[in-house]
Order: sequence, then structure tokens, then C-alpha cells
Amino acid sequence: MPMELLHDLKVPHDQDTRARQDFVSTLRGYILNDMAAGMKSRYREAVEPVLTRDLGRAPATQDEVHAAMKHDLFFKFYSAVRYNAQEMVWRSVIPGIEAALPDMRAKAEVLGARAGGSLTLNPDLELPENVTAVDVHLMPGVYAAPDTPAAGAVYDNGLAVFSAGFMGRELNDIGMSMANYIRKRFPDFTPADILDCGCTVGHNTLAWARTYPEATVHGIDVSSSVLRYAHARAGSLGIPAHFHQMDATSLAFPDASFDVVFSSMFLHELSVKDIKRFFAEAYRVLRPGGLLVNMELPPNQALEPYDQFYLDWDCYYNAEPFYRAFRDQDYAGLTQAGGFAPEDYLQFTVPQYTYMDDADFTEAVQRPASIDGETGRLSATLQWFGFGAWKR
Amino acid sequence: MSLLPLEASGRRPAFFDAPGMDQILSMVLELAAELWVVRERVFILEAVLKKQGVAAADAVETYVPTEDEKAVLAKMRAEATANIFRTLNREHKAVT
Repeated sequence: MPMELLHDLKVPHDQDTRARQDFVSTLRGYILNDMAAGMKSRYREAVEPVLTRDLGRAPATQDEVHAAMKHDLFFKFYSAVRYNAQEMVWRSVIPGIEAALPDMRAKAEVLGARAGGSLTLNPDLELPENVTAVDVHLMPGVYAAPDTPAAGAVYDNGLAVFSAGFMGRELNDIGMSMANYIRKRFPDFTPADILDCGCTVGHNTLAWARTYPEATVHGIDVSSSVLRYAHARAGSLGIPAHFHQMDATSLAFPDASFDVVFSSMFLHELSVKDIKRFFAEAYRVLRPGGLLVNMELPPNQALEPYDQFYLDWDCYYNAEPFYRAFRDQDYAGLTQAGGFAPEDYLQFTVPQYTYMDDADFTEAVQRPASIDGETGRLSATLQWFGFGAWKR
Repeated sequence: MSLLPLEASGRRPAFFDAPGMDQILSMVLELAAELWVVRERVFILEAVLKKQGVAAADAVETYVPTEDEKAVLAKMRAEATANIFRTLNREHKAVT
């Protein structure tokens, strides 16, 4: 079932639309659990033995796996159904948003003023090519109607359907899990100023405010539309947060402004060059003793070829052009390129905070990172992956 | 004119070798979604009616729609059909 949005920008979808969204969400759950498990069995039992025989050795790269799987009928169905389901996610929410749009901007402004947060737009900001050239993850017209909260509404409503229950009631499980990992693992660390980069609708930004209620929380994104929505959403949920239209590769904040620089599901939308520029900026705006922490998919070098191939499906078929190039990187090396010291690197896996009791979560965060084919993958045994570095 | 596009830019990938197979699969999925929407609606409708003491299942069997109702049903069928065949529509647009 899609998650019902819990704030006042919620679009009133009619019964048939809600039923359609239920169907798409259920279909996504079926693809990501049942079909994915079936495809892995198919690989192990039918494809891998033939590939190993043909190569005269075990497959060594995801390209070898991908090339072999492309001819497999199960893979074709998996991919075609998943691709269609992705399209159907957006199709199931956009008409209702279109209908609600005439009133949405004014409503957003009223809601935004509620909680004491702020919205600072920069009309002169040039949108980077990585967000204008492609409809990323097949979200149609990402930057249509920039003067309205439309793109934010499409993202938020779409995520509610897409997440198929994997991201919590407020779609903030990533933020809650990451922030609470830091809180539990480093109890003496009490950040006063927190920055979320590439924050879209602020769903994970607000998780930091919930976890560290004394802290001041900021979110940046290049899109005015998602920020208009984020501001209103935060206001409606009663959380003061400050949203700025800004590019993470060129932050307008002074040096040493923050104790935490966070991102989630963001780096894989950037070129490697831009990730390095972002990390250099993160280093600059962090105070000594501050932490850069990113939620992302795990690095390819930690996974066996089939699991690399499985996660990089999005790069090949879901309009995520930078996904694989990022996942092929040495993540520690990326933080070092930004100025962080090798010994200050940090990486971890964390179970879903939303779906655990506090004691189990507290125990789980003490365990060392264990990366396998389930890490970062939306499935019943999901663990999120995080990495970053401390600034001395 | 609508502000928000319904389709992402870029070319849809073909996963199957047989011509038309990818489109057929899209049609099947849209059809499945349509079917679910209707099943859920009928389920709710019958539950609502039952609460009001109406034996809906019997009444449905013997009901004759008016001309106006027939026109509404025809429009609904046309819309559902366009949605089911949406990928062909797109191919058509690409050609013309």
C-alpha cells in the first residue's frame, strides 16, 4: 500500500486513483521481493553455470553478468515490468496534482509560514546539466512549473507509491535511520547546525530535526519547486527548517558553519567530478569535529558481480546516468579528494529505525558494517548503507 | 493545456526481441491496474450497499442502464482503452 501523506499539502486523490496507486505499490513490492528473488535463483541455477563454462572461470564483472542476463527471458520480464511500474508510479499521481495545482502555491505559502522555518530562493542560480538533461528515475518534467510546488508534489506523492512501504510512515526512514545511527553510535556528539544537501522535499532533512531537536536544520536543493514544497511540508508538520536554493558543489555558506553535512540518495545523481567538488565544499563548511555523512547504495567493490549488476539496473534502465560511475568509486578516496584524512573515514550499515524497537536498534548500531547483496536494496531484509568522514 | 507532462523524456528501452512484445506487456499491466481499480470499487460499493440493507448483487443482475448512463459507460470505456494502449499511442506520435 502507498503511504498516506501526513501533512496538509496532501493531494485529495479520488477512490479510483487511490486504488490504482495501491496496485502499483503492490506491484513494486512484488517485483522487488518475489521477482528479484526469482531472478537471482534463475541466475544461480541456469545462467551462471553456462556463463562459467563459456568463460572457463567464474564471472568476474557485472558486465559479464549483465551481458548473459540480457538474453534470459526472466530478466526481460523483470526489467520490463519494473520499467513499466516506474512509469505507472508517476502516472498514478500526476493528474491529481495537476488538478490541485491552481491552489497549491498559495496554500504552500500559508503552510510554510507556520513553523518558523524559512525559504530562500535564488532565481539567478543556473540549474546544472545533470538535472536538466534527463528526467531522472523517469520522473516526467522534473523542472516543469518552477513557480509552483508541483515537482515537490510529484516527488512526494510518487515516493509514497514507489517506496512500497520500505521508507516508513513519513517517508523518512532513511533520515531517521542515519541520524539515529549517529546519535546512538556517537552519544557525545551533539550537532548544533545540520545541513542536508540535495534535500528535495525535506523528508529526510526533518528526520535530523526530530533526532536532534536542539539543532538548527537547513536543506538545500537546486530546484525552487521542491523547496517551495519542502518549506510548506515542514511548516505543516510543525518543524522549523531553513530551505535554500543552492548548488551543493558551490555552497553560499561561510567556512565552518555546520556540525553535520548530510546527503541521502544524492551522490548517485552527480558526476564524480561534482561529488568531489561537493565533498570539498562539505569540508569547508564543516567545523572542526564535524561530520560528513551520506546515505547511498553500497560501493561495487564490496559486492559480488551479480549484486553489482542487480543494483546498477537503475543506471541502465531507470534514467540514472551517473549511478554506476559513482558506485564504481572508492568511497573513502572520494572523501579524501574533498580534504578529509584517510583515518577519519567512516562507513556503516544500519537497519531500518522505523521498524525496530529502540533497544534492538541500539544494539544493531554497535555491530561493524556488513555489506552484502541485501545492503541498500529495497527488500524485506533491507539495511541502509552510510559513509562519510570526520573533519579534524 | 496541462503544466505537468505524464511521460519522461528519452526513448523507452525494448527488453524483448519480438516486435510489439514490450508494448503488449505495458498493455497487460495497465489492464491489470484498470481491473484492480474496478474490483476495489465494486467491493466497496457492495459493502456500502449491504450496510444499507440493499442486496446489490441481485439488483446488478437485473439492472437496465438508461441512455444517459450508457453514454457515460461508453466514455469510460474509451478512456480505459486509450490508457491500455498508451504505448502504441506514443509510437504513433513518434512516427507522425
